[in-house]
Amino acid sequence: MTFAKTLRAFICALLGVLLLGRSTANVVYAQVPAPDEETYRIAKQLNCPTCAGRNLADCPTETCAQWKAEIKAQLDQGKSAQEVLDYFQARFGPTVLQEPPKSGTTAPLWAAPIGAAIVFLIGAGLVMWRTSQRNAPAAPSTPQSEGEDPFVAALEREVRQSE
Amino acid sequence: MKSKPLIIAGALAAIVVIAGVFVIALNLVAQQGARPAVGSPAPDFTLKLYPGYRAGLPEEIRLSDLRGNVVVMNFWASWCVECYKEADALEAVYRKYKDRGVIFLGIDYLDTEAPALAYLQQYNITYPNGIDLQQQIARAYRITGVPETFFIDRDGIVRDVVIAPLTEAQLSARIDKMLAD
Repeated sequence: MTFAKTLRAFICALLGVLLLGRSTANVVYAQVPAPDEETYRIAKQLNCPTCAGRNLADCPTETCAQWKAEIKAQLDQGKSAQEVLDYFQARFGPTVLQEPPKSGTTAPLWAAPIGAAIVFLIGAGLVMWRTSQRNAPAAPSTPQSEGEDPFVAALEREVRQSE
Repeated sequence: MKSKPLIIAGALAAIVVIAGVFVIALNLVAQQGARPAVGSPAPDFTLKLYPGYRAGLPEEIRLSDLRGNVVVMNFWASWCVECYKEADALEAVYRKYKDRGVIFLGIDYLDTEAPALAYLQQYNITYPNGIDLQQQIARAYRITGVPETFFIDRDGIVRDVVIAPLTEAQLSARIDKMLAD
């Protein structure tokens, strides 16, 4: 075997190994999230039922462990993330969700900041408008004829009287 | 004063936010209502019973349909360690009184189905048990946790509330008193 043939075989083998490695890497990166990751992602959207203000995903209590097991079980059954969230909302109510629905009793919670922002913007706009009005250069006064000027008229009257 | 309208706008914005929070708080209070006191009528509710834990009752029962019976209503959960302590007592007393016009209702609170059913099986529970969907019953009775047991007489009046695990003697004493009245 000549040196050129040996080199060609070596390069082909090297390319083969690189391509194989690349395809393997592709398989790794193309993987869908493992069930545990998906469980965690869904749990992040739910509240701990027994400890106020705590996220289900980060809660170590027995209740939360059961709920996370339930999420995993439902994912293993082929349910989508939304279906799992719907199940928890139907069973435990909307307060189980980290982000409460924008309707019903929680509507004012969402509307209040928007309303406050509108009121504030209107007020700020009013301030800016008034400031701009005050800082605007005064309009030139209309020249008046001598006869119309009350000061001139009064002066003329006094001159006439003194005469 | 240039800042006066700005202060007014800020104050109005704050009022809007406070009013919004106030409306939510009022709604929540209205939803919760008051805890039923001893001597007052027990709030009515519908309970969906777990399969295999109906004891001859339909899948969905209303408390008002049980009028004429003494009802022992126990809130529990499979994750509740204190509930384990009274599980055997509840079942034993249920068996003792079930043919004497006494109905036990287990109300599963904030529980998922698989661990709840495993719990019922573990303690050989046979009395009717169901899930409190969306905690409607827990809210109506303003429970503070589990276990909590309400004793309701034949006329649908709350006769006692116990916020602790119960023993057989404690359960029997309360039931006997209601049966005697």
